[in-house]
Amino acid sequence: MRSPWLGPLLYILRRAAMIFLVLLGVCTVTFIVTRLLGNPVYLLVGQQANKEILDNMIHQMGLDRPLYEQYLRYLWAVARGDLGMSRYTFRPVLEDIRLRLPATFELVTAAMWLIVFGGVPLGVLAAARPRGIIARFAQFLSQLGVSMPSFWVGLLLIYFFFFRLHWFPAPLGRLADQIAAPPRVTGLLLVDSLLARDHVAFRSALGHLVLPAVTLALGSVPATLQITRTTLLQVLASDYIRTARAYGMPARAIYFRYALKNVVVPLITVLAMTFGYLMSGTVLVETVFAWPGLGLYAVDAMNHFDYEPIVGVVLLSALFYALAYLVADLVSFAVDPRIRAQ
Amino acid sequence: MAEVPLAETPVVLFRRPRWRTLRRWLFCPPVIILALLLLGAVFAPQLARYDPLTPSPGEKLQPPSARHWFGTDPYGMDIFSRVLYATRTDLTVAVLSVLLGIAAGIPLGALAGYLGGWVDEALTRLTEVMQAFPQILFAMAVMAALGNNLVNLVLILAFLNVPVYLKMVRSVTLPLRESDFVLAARCAGHTTGSLVVRHIIPNTLVPVFSQFSLSCSYAVQMVAGLSFIGLGVKIPHPEWGSMISLGANYIVFGMWWPALFPGLATFLAAFALHDLGQRLRRSLLREAEG
Repeated sequence: MRSPWLGPLLYILRRAAMIFLVLLGVCTVTFIVTRLLGNPVYLLVGQQANKEILDNMIHQMGLDRPLYEQYLRYLWAVARGDLGMSRYTFRPVLEDIRLRLPATFELVTAAMWLIVFGGVPLGVLAAARPRGIIARFAQFLSQLGVSMPSFWVGLLLIYFFFFRLHWFPAPLGRLADQIAAPPRVTGLLLVDSLLARDHVAFRSALGHLVLPAVTLALGSVPATLQITRTTLLQVLASDYIRTARAYGMPARAIYFRYALKNVVVPLITVLAMTFGYLMSGTVLVETVFAWPGLGLYAVDAMNHFDYEPIVGVVLLSALFYALAYLVADLVSFAVDPRIRAQ
Repeated sequence: MAEVPLAETPVVLFRRPRWRTLRRWLFCPPVIILALLLLGAVFAPQLARYDPLTPSPGEKLQPPSARHWFGTDPYGMDIFSRVLYATRTDLTVAVLSVLLGIAAGIPLGALAGYLGGWVDEALTRLTEVMQAFPQILFAMAVMAALGNNLVNLVLILAFLNVPVYLKMVRSVTLPLRESDFVLAARCAGHTTGSLVVRHIIPNTLVPVFSQFSLSCSYAVQMVAGLSFIGLGVKIPHPEWGSMISLGANYIVFGMWWPALFPGLATFLAAFALHDLGQRLRRSLLREAEG
């Protein structure tokens, strides 16, 4: 007799194996780009170094070894979390990333909240009344979201809400200068300041978070909104909803018990995609708001001709993206009996 | 800026359009906006009253006026002239990169869909890997390793576009493979290569065309975004994103014009291209339904 756990376990293992392959592919591509197409030695010592220094560097970095050995060493280093050294912070890249990840995570999480609690209800309402004013507003918002460059939106928001209205603090980082940061527990300022019962820091952190989070969310909310709207429209046009209506079932029961369930699975996939996208989209938003996260770290590294931090952030983002997909798969598996049956 | 996931791609075979439908397309808002932008780009030397690269130290950060319609930037360069000239760079880079991506994506997608088997499997896995890359960060990494210039920018954006078209053409090819006319062509003695080139690829072009416009909208924003953080173009070169970055530091002091106008141009171009793509998609869907 088959154990009831076997099916889910096999499914999880299969998905995890796929993720592993994707990540291996990502490492391979970064290896090809940095070691084969580009010359890391030139990047490290500059174009004008003499022959002796170059040869030394080449030997030191193991670039005179056979290619497969270099590749395996590279994979082994990445697997151990050795992402190299940053040449302008003079610290291991992994250490820098660990310091800066909470800032990006806080920003992306806040944007995800806005997307989920703004985009999904808007999409539902737009589908419920396809010609209503909310549907039009949703359409308008989507049009703006997909065609306004996020960094430009950020600048406009700064102009109106900081310079004109003074509603929000200056776009310089996560906390006002004169306020002491709460003791670091999670690295997320909102959480840490609450843990320390530091209301001043909490208010300041929240004030600094609002504009970048809105900026980041605006570009990605259309995908969520549209998938909710179109899926729900399709479901509402289906035979079984018509039957439910014919039976005289109240509208609330139709929506909440039958229709919305079908939105969950495509929605989860889109949210995973959005999360992966935001990890990259923060680069521009962090630059605009001087937000000390991973995106700004990569931009700073680029301005210092330091490529290892950038590659490190790329690998980490790919990892997050892959994990988001894995979670989306697992949630879909748990939620949707049709997937389980396969 | 996130791409909305594609719905089913409709299979619509190519037909010569009638003049009436053509006229409707010519006078829709996105086409008019694009036409104006293109005219501005082509006739930039005639329309611009100042050289886009000549700084004027006496006129730094002047607000918009009759002399400088869009004001001047921190170097005293005329923003109106620069926005016009920048249209050339931005649209060329965006369109060229998407075209290159299509040129690689179509044959690969057609082969994956037509041949199936391990070719399909390998190409599908590769697209999955490509899509796991955060695009902006990937572009930064590649340009940090290979050199920061416009040619590399075009190549990277083209590379990022390949998976989109590969997947799309593959999904259109799958039903075509089973169709009667392909069977007939095979019976007539076509080799796989000529069959794909002569019969499969032409029939994938209609959906590719509507996606082209959407991709260009996205590419315009990518170009501006990447040059905003200093990739691709060097500062005095007129380009929307780098112009916004010049203005970004002055916005907190209430000087809105150096960042507003180039951003508005980017937004208009992206909006028009996206709207046009959506209209094309909708009309294709209508056509596919009958």
